[in-house]
Amino acid sequence: MPRRADRTRQPGPAEALPAAGPRPSLDDPRVMLDRQAGALFEEIPPYPARTEREAEFYTPTEGELFLNIGPHHPATHGVMRLVVKLSGERVVDVDPVLGYLHRGVEKICENSDYYHVIDQVDPLEYVSSLFQEWAAVLAFEKLMEVEVPQRAEYIRVLSAELLRVQSHTLYMGFLALDLGGLTPILYSFIERDEIVEMLAALTGARMLFNYFRVGGVNGDLNHEFMSRLGDWMSRAGKQAEANAALLNENEIFVRRMRGVGVLDRATALGYGVTGGNLRASGVPFDLRRVHPYSVYPQLDFNVPTRQEGDSLARYLIRVDEIRESIRIIDQCLHQMPDGPIMAPRLPRLLRPKPGRAWGAVEGPRGMLGVYAVSDGTDQPFRFRIHDPSFLNLEVVPHLLPGNLLADTMAIVASLDPVMGGIDK
Amino acid sequence: MRARAATLVRSSWIQLLDRLSITERLVLLLIPPAIGGAVVTILAAALVGPAFVDFLAANLPLVRFFVAVVAILLLTVPTAFVIIYMELKVIARMNLRVGPNRIGPWGSGMSVVHGLKVLLKEDFAPTGADLPVFTLAPVVTFLASAMTLLVIPFAPGLFGQDLNIGLLFFFAMGGLTVLGLLMAGWASFNKYSLLGGLRSAAQMVSYEIPLTLSAVGIILLTGTMSLNQTVLAQSGSALDWFVFKQPLAFLIFFIAATAEANRTPFDMTEADSEIVAGFATEYSGMRFGFFFFAEYVNVFIVSALTVTLFFGGWTAPFDWPWPVSLDPIDAWAAGPAWIALGLGAAILGADVLAVVIRLFGGRAWSIPAAFGLGFLVSGAALTALLLGACFIAFDWFAGIVWFMAKAYAFVFVFVWLRATLPRVRIDQLMGFAWKWLLPAALLNLFITAAAVILLDR
Amino acid sequence: MDRALKSRLEAQLGSVIRGAVRQRGDQTEIRIAPADLPEVLRTVHESIDMRFEVLADLAGVDTGDTMQVVLHLWGERSSDWLRIIVEGLPREKPRCPSVTFLWPGAEWLEREAYDMFGIVFDGNRDLRRIFMPPDYQSFPLRKDFYLPDDASRSPGMGVRPVEKPHAPAVAEPDPAAAIRRSPAS
Repeated sequence: MPRRADRTRQPGPAEALPAAGPRPSLDDPRVMLDRQAGALFEEIPPYPARTEREAEFYTPTEGELFLNIGPHHPATHGVMRLVVKLSGERVVDVDPVLGYLHRGVEKICENSDYYHVIDQVDPLEYVSSLFQEWAAVLAFEKLMEVEVPQRAEYIRVLSAELLRVQSHTLYMGFLALDLGGLTPILYSFIERDEIVEMLAALTGARMLFNYFRVGGVNGDLNHEFMSRLGDWMSRAGKQAEANAALLNENEIFVRRMRGVGVLDRATALGYGVTGGNLRASGVPFDLRRVHPYSVYPQLDFNVPTRQEGDSLARYLIRVDEIRESIRIIDQCLHQMPDGPIMAPRLPRLLRPKPGRAWGAVEGPRGMLGVYAVSDGTDQPFRFRIHDPSFLNLEVVPHLLPGNLLADTMAIVASLDPVMGGIDK
Repeated sequence: MRARAATLVRSSWIQLLDRLSITERLVLLLIPPAIGGAVVTILAAALVGPAFVDFLAANLPLVRFFVAVVAILLLTVPTAFVIIYMELKVIARMNLRVGPNRIGPWGSGMSVVHGLKVLLKEDFAPTGADLPVFTLAPVVTFLASAMTLLVIPFAPGLFGQDLNIGLLFFFAMGGLTVLGLLMAGWASFNKYSLLGGLRSAAQMVSYEIPLTLSAVGIILLTGTMSLNQTVLAQSGSALDWFVFKQPLAFLIFFIAATAEANRTPFDMTEADSEIVAGFATEYSGMRFGFFFFAEYVNVFIVSALTVTLFFGGWTAPFDWPWPVSLDPIDAWAAGPAWIALGLGAAILGADVLAVVIRLFGGRAWSIPAAFGLGFLVSGAALTALLLGACFIAFDWFAGIVWFMAKAYAFVFVFVWLRATLPRVRIDQLMGFAWKWLLPAALLNLFITAAAVILLDR
Repeated sequence: MDRALKSRLEAQLGSVIRGAVRQRGDQTEIRIAPADLPEVLRTVHESIDMRFEVLADLAGVDTGDTMQVVLHLWGERSSDWLRIIVEGLPREKPRCPSVTFLWPGAEWLEREAYDMFGIVFDGNRDLRRIFMPPDYQSFPLRKDFYLPDDASRSPGMGVRPVEKPHAPAVAEPDPAAAIRRSPAS
């Protein structure tokens, strides 16, 4: 059904910048063409450099080669391309190329009504989708000035912290897999399966939950969820410790992570890194404490912070966060009030007054923010998602040079990027 | 006229072929060559046979060598299959998974399926690859690994060649695998392969030295490089094994052997989370199959060498009395009698067991099913008895059994390491070899030499 | 709602803020012209009572009439998010000073705003497309983005039937009413 916003127009005016020019001539020194091999090599990149940085990067000096850790790769956490300039085994520079998973979520959300937006925003960080829903719903609730009942808030915190545990457990597994250990990932998936089955009992879906609503949540706690949760809670602490010990006590693993990819505090703040990566560099920035939302002011938990800033610190922070999340879940269960799970008297079709709102939550990877602009209709006028992995990945060209190629994987994996969120 | 007659004849043959089904066509086409082959063979055997047999009898060592080489080449493929299956299943169990369980009983057909799969894949080479080198690389790697089996003693009297430089030959051949990997890395025209090949060259060269140095201690103890003599020097009981006289050498040897075989934690060359498949990135089909087999054969041979050098090879852990030493010829002469006896015993056992199963199993077991199960069980029991008899009677059989048991125990340890440990980084790997293993191997050598001199005096 | 922040902003930046400082919930919003952005950011970043050190987001917005660049900042001294709306960028050639002098991480955020809207950030060393392919000819999040025609301007010339150029499904709608504008944004 054509909507009002499906306004496709005649082409816009001429662009502000010149388009890519013709193929460069063979005499251009930036073009790496092997004359003997004829057309075997394509120049990298196959167009003249558009910016200063691109020219600087794609001009190799003596003894350097470009290695494409390409979009199809066993260990790039999704489809991401890292063009790495190597001198032997040592990385000299890195140019991440994104966009292989760009799905145009922001544009689609401009054509969706406020319920559909929640559905669209799930597959961004598909590993921990409730947090994107939460950020969106937070922004919408600020737009519409809706008060969420306490029980719904507690349920939100409960399900979100469960998902945080699952996301961190998976992170540990993928980190080990990228370093060569085949077993921890399977253990992580066992953990994940338990949690995800629990959430399936609560929300109806295992992965893309579509559970939060503007003004509350979609369904109340039910018996199956509570019984699974009880089972899980009785062994969660010990299981988390055992899984962490699998990696912590492994000398090879620790040696490969310690001192690798040190991110200092000033750089982290300058690049806008948030989440565990920032806390591993010594900045105790956790949105749940510095800018509390929902019922976090009433919950007692610590914010683990470390000073070293290397990959091992980033990993250990997440191990600590699993512990803290289990504490939070415990407190939620004890403090859960009775009451409604949706705000009363919400209209069927959400049509907020014109205005702007920003809502941000602390996801497993950092600060997830949503900036929503409403123009009074039932579709957002502008729906902007700020994803934490985007800026977390931006420090990679800063961290990688000087390390060996093998550390590339350790560093990228320790930053925990999820390409769905980065590429939107 | 002749041409027309020929055409007529050919076309009627074609008409005949058209009217047959495929099976019938195959049979028709294969019968003449079969008959002709049989005739030729009989003629050749009659005319040339005796002279040929005399020639062979005169050159027995040559025959022995030829048979040994063929046997070894035939041994490598089933070994690789078994180790592949072990790896799949054992790693799966360590990952709390099940592993292959559909093809064949408990998934054992999976290896065969893998082997067939690599045979059936498209065989291509990337543009710009150096074709002769590209094709030869897997061959070199595989042959280098397989040739080392020539000197390993599997049982008393069962070895390819008892070279008196056996250990040196082993390390020389083992070192040739580096050549194959380098060839593959270079000829693939791919930066990932190049990186993998160079890493492998660096790694294997670094670990050759601790490997050979730790084995030199054994040479000092036995005074010979012949592997057969080394095993014989350890015969007696388990306490004679060299692992108790050279524990440090054993550790160094095992770690260096893991690196030589490119196994986790030292599998930087095929680190599939960084450089896709390392040197084997551009290989597919049977060429990749060769690399694959070469790797698993490598695992087997380093296990075999560990067992030979440190764990007594084919000797039993305790003094094994040989009560009955059957002359093999007599056993074969009584062959048919044994077969009849075996079958009769099996059927009798089947009867008894069928009755038992029907009694206790009740309606669930039909008579044919009970009979079948009884036959299987009694047949299995009789086979076990037969094997046990062979184990007691034939020392070469017992030797093979002990040797394989110990070698596969070490193969299991290799697979266990792969399931458990992450990968070591290339600079940490080489640092470890040059800074830790090499001095340790030298220390071991000095201590051994000192002990040999002092104790002999 | 941080009243103290409002008074501080008015005191230090009153001359460059267009309109009033609006506050709603936990957000404070100011609007400025593009040329004033560096000065405003330096003030807000370095002034003792307003240390907004964390750049939370930098986004482009196409309001239909003009373009905007919206920054969100967070600081320890205030309990509010600070939203800085750089407005008045013309739709044909939107230009805005880059914020990478204060936050190097804004480089990719500005790349994204360029890629989606065509906003050129002066001072960004690496202003090239980040999500779309490098030879893409149009800017997707603009309100006048037209998909089938855009695919035809890509060198691939569209591979599937839906990508080949064809007449728009809706017959020529009214140009003025078509571009969705945000009222009084």
